[in-house]
Amino acid sequence: MSGADTALLDVRGVSRSFWTGGLLSRRRIDAVKDVSFTLTDARPEIFTIIGESGSGKSTLARMILNGMNPTSGSIAFGGEELTTIRKTRDRMRFMSRVQPIFQNPFESFNPLSKVDRYLTMTARNFTEARSRAETDDASDRALRKVGLSLAEVKDRFPHELSGGQLQRIAIARALIPGPRLIVADEPVSMVDASLRVAIVNLFKDLRDELKVSIIYITHDLATAYYISDRIIIMRKGEVVESGDARAVLDNPQHPYSILLKDSVLSPDVPDDDEPKTIERDRAARSH
Amino acid sequence: MTLHQLNNHLNPAPEALPASPALRVDGLKAYYQTRWFGITREVRAVDDITLRIEHDEIYGIAGESSSGKSSLIKTIAGAIRPPLNVVGGTVNFDFGTRKVDLYTLKPEERTAIRWKHLAYIMQGSMSVLNPLRRVRQSFIDFAFRHMGMPMPAFLKAVEDHLLRLHLQPGVLDSYPHELSGGMRQRVVIALATVCRPGFIIADEPTTALDVVVQKSVLTMIREVQREMRASILFVTHDMAVHANLTDRLGIMYAGRLVEEGRTRDLFRNPRHPYTLHLIRSLPRIGDAEPRQGLEGTPPNLADPPPGCRFHPRCPIAMDVCRVMVPPMQALGGGHRVACHAVTEGTVQ
Repeated sequence: MSGADTALLDVRGVSRSFWTGGLLSRRRIDAVKDVSFTLTDARPEIFTIIGESGSGKSTLARMILNGMNPTSGSIAFGGEELTTIRKTRDRMRFMSRVQPIFQNPFESFNPLSKVDRYLTMTARNFTEARSRAETDDASDRALRKVGLSLAEVKDRFPHELSGGQLQRIAIARALIPGPRLIVADEPVSMVDASLRVAIVNLFKDLRDELKVSIIYITHDLATAYYISDRIIIMRKGEVVESGDARAVLDNPQHPYSILLKDSVLSPDVPDDDEPKTIERDRAARSH
Repeated sequence: MTLHQLNNHLNPAPEALPASPALRVDGLKAYYQTRWFGITREVRAVDDITLRIEHDEIYGIAGESSSGKSSLIKTIAGAIRPPLNVVGGTVNFDFGTRKVDLYTLKPEERTAIRWKHLAYIMQGSMSVLNPLRRVRQSFIDFAFRHMGMPMPAFLKAVEDHLLRLHLQPGVLDSYPHELSGGMRQRVVIALATVCRPGFIIADEPTTALDVVVQKSVLTMIREVQREMRASILFVTHDMAVHANLTDRLGIMYAGRLVEEGRTRDLFRNPRHPYTLHLIRSLPRIGDAEPRQGLEGTPPNLADPPPGCRFHPRCPIAMDVCRVMVPPMQALGGGHRVACHAVTEGTVQ
């Protein structure tokens, strides 16, 4: 294990490009361009990556999860280069320490198998648990961390549970191996507004109580402001602004960050004599 | 400013409902009814809903998934299919030139109304446009029949309409996959409004879009509404969109309308505990105060809890809430709420 002063995750000058088109119309798309950041081991934090669709945030997440190699640059987890992780045993060890949570809970579960199967399989693959009683115990402990219990979800199919419950189960599953880092790719964008806060509060608890670092990928600036410690704003693969989340979002400097912040619809209703945000925008354009 | 606009400006929400609103829904009940091996199962997705939508206004419906929002608008649009059946109540439209009671019409009469008078902007623009046909062909497929004009004049009208919506007529030659998500959604809105319908139903049209695109699509919807003076029924679970777009707002919970009023009144002075929760739980930039999520899950509509359907999750539930369905009560100013605590004056 790495010492207290080493980096948990070190992303150094990472780029990734894709080639598209046919033989004559080959075109290079730079999905991620020269991104660097470091998460420290000693202080768990919620690190947010913000950007519109196509900004490369999901590609970056996939590289951190070691599902794709960078074209240039390097990513190290706990001092170990991800490209050197080749053997199955090393891979399993890496996966037990870095876990993903995906966007759409309805798509990340197989509709034909019961949800507790995912928890059992994860427990069997990544922990010492072997017998039914042991895996059930591991599943139940993880579910209790997210405010559920095994009795509530056992023998249920995904369609019998709400999106919020499924997303909690996905988080519980990610917690079973006892990870140090969770990469959550748009975990609340498919969840109802009323449940969104419950899920992001859960991330806060994971950071504060279980000392898990979280990379939170989103396009929702309001929840990012609410839970993040640090933030990077990406546009077309490049980081345009980074720093302390509150400082960046309170006072964005880059024109794109300012545009993003201005586009967020305020949940406050304006006064009677004041036009609504979208009309103010229209008036400004017509002048 | 025209006289009509001035009138609207001075009286934004009339106290008494005028004789003929654009849409009148009375006691509407629509259930999913299935019968397998002699066992009848009934899911009460729309349960006794009464609402009015005025001419020239945007009416919002908010609620979480499985609260029956989509079933309600399907029923209002007359786009229901078994097992969803209308069990009771009426849906009356007033399109200005003609008044219709939707569920007494013959199917072919209902088809004739669609697009021409009643348009439907669906969620997921990706799946609405035929991927194998150019956008121009989709316009012809959907709207040509209803416009009743020769093809060259029709195409000219389509191009004029696109220009009015700040879209280049060049998009007509594109296939859907060549357009970005936001552009496709704009094309779908243009498609839905090309016949200049008097009533537009929009189902989560911006949910899949990111913030910058979402704002421009909402601005476009507002402009279309202003220009055509149409009524829009706008459904989304995103309260920030409601705050910025809708004139009046209805909150749905488990198939019932629990609160309704002018959007501003509802946001300033929410009375139902569920509305209060929806508004309070919104995180916003510049405010990092801890917020509470709502515990529990939405009720199963096949076996809803007795009394007020919100009582298992309600922080102020009383004994009466567990046995009696709260009636809709008018609070003045068009603000209505269905909550025993408000009726009995135990909460302010």
